[in-house]
Amino acid sequence: MKKHLKVILLIISVSFLQISLSHSNEDTSISSISYDEIYDPIEPINRAVLNFNFFIDDIAIRPIVKTYKFIAPEPVEKGVSNFFSNLKEPIRTVSFILQGEFFKSFNSIGRFSINTLTSLGTFDLASRIGMEKNETDLGITLAKGGVSSGPYIVIPIIGPSNLRDFSGDVVEYFVDPISNNIPNREYLAVGNGLNERAEVDEQLEKVREASSDRYEMIKSIYYQNRNAQLEEEYIQNLPVPKIYIE
Amino acid sequence: MKKIIIIFCLIFSFSTLNASEVSEWFEKESNLFLEIISNKEGTESENYEKYKLFVSKNFAIKSIAYGLIGESIINKSSEDELSLYLNVFTDYLIKTIYKLANSTSSGSIIFKDVDIKDNIYIIKSEISDKKSSANLYWKVIDTGKSFKIIDVIVENTSYFVTKKSEFNKILRKNRGSLKALVNEIQKI
Repeated sequence: MKKHLKVILLIISVSFLQISLSHSNEDTSISSISYDEIYDPIEPINRAVLNFNFFIDDIAIRPIVKTYKFIAPEPVEKGVSNFFSNLKEPIRTVSFILQGEFFKSFNSIGRFSINTLTSLGTFDLASRIGMEKNETDLGITLAKGGVSSGPYIVIPIIGPSNLRDFSGDVVEYFVDPISNNIPNREYLAVGNGLNERAEVDEQLEKVREASSDRYEMIKSIYYQNRNAQLEEEYIQNLPVPKIYIE
Repeated sequence: MKKIIIIFCLIFSFSTLNASEVSEWFEKESNLFLEIISNKEGTESENYEKYKLFVSKNFAIKSIAYGLIGESIINKSSEDELSLYLNVFTDYLIKTIYKLANSTSSGSIIFKDVDIKDNIYIIKSEISDKKSSANLYWKVIDTGKSFKIIDVIVENTSYFVTKKSEFNKILRKNRGSLKALVNEIQKI
């Protein structure tokens, strides 16, 4: 049954990629610094899913995260965050190899070895000795390979994504050498999800307060963060207002 | 050849001079901002006035406000509508910064680096408190009289880009009505 599920999910990911590729003529640049018209053909469904996600967050996830943040001292929070980040280093290594970034891939596997051997990944010793963390994933790899983002989608419970990045996440889930070899990996996935939610807790509170349209705000923030991982000179290339004399 | 070297040196020293001017301005204004944040003694309205003064002095409000709605809306709106929008947006910007500052515990803003592209200075800084730190970028223009901020980027999230997406959505939903946008801003 599990094998069948894997095959089905892989087929879905591949077909997602095909759809994404078929849209690539709409948007040829890998990062597309145009935030005004993000391709969002299923907006009403996405809005409903986002409302559902906020509802689930309000009644279940947020209380857990708040309790965790209240109980856990700062070093524990940092340690947990480091632990989950360290588990992603092998898949980062694979992604960097696929991108042709061999130095970064050596750095990732080196970081994984050092941090796992010294503290099971809870302390980032590698950064202290000059091996800085480089973020990447299969979604970024696909983008660098010319796959456009495809439509924006909000995934139930998980949150904002797009077809390309979600396909990358699905493939990652099955090819990740670490979590594939851990028994009861579902618990690990839940733990990782809660940790990621805790990491953006303050930002989410600000979105709840300061936005006239939280859907648009989250969408824009999501694309800005993804583009920052793709663009070398992201900050320099962000659009700026025309100057009016005051 | 000598002339070329002299011209090159002049251009280089001019850009270094400007960069040092903008970094000086930044250090001065960021310290002032931290002073305002940490001073909790005054009444709420007194503190609000301090933020108002700070924002009016240091932000290119008109450029940001007009940039958020775009040329086509500016061209089709009346002077009165634009003036009302500018006032409401100014108030909104001050309130946003006021709220943000009140939810932040006092910390430090450390100047890191300054870069220039298309006559816009990009100041890289780091804001930190006891708990965490974040990269903070400021896009600044030189108006001739002073430096003015046109965008603030926290980690990778630009205030201008995020608000532009939000405002555009409201304008599209209301067939480009600036009045509708003003009403929405006032509701926040």
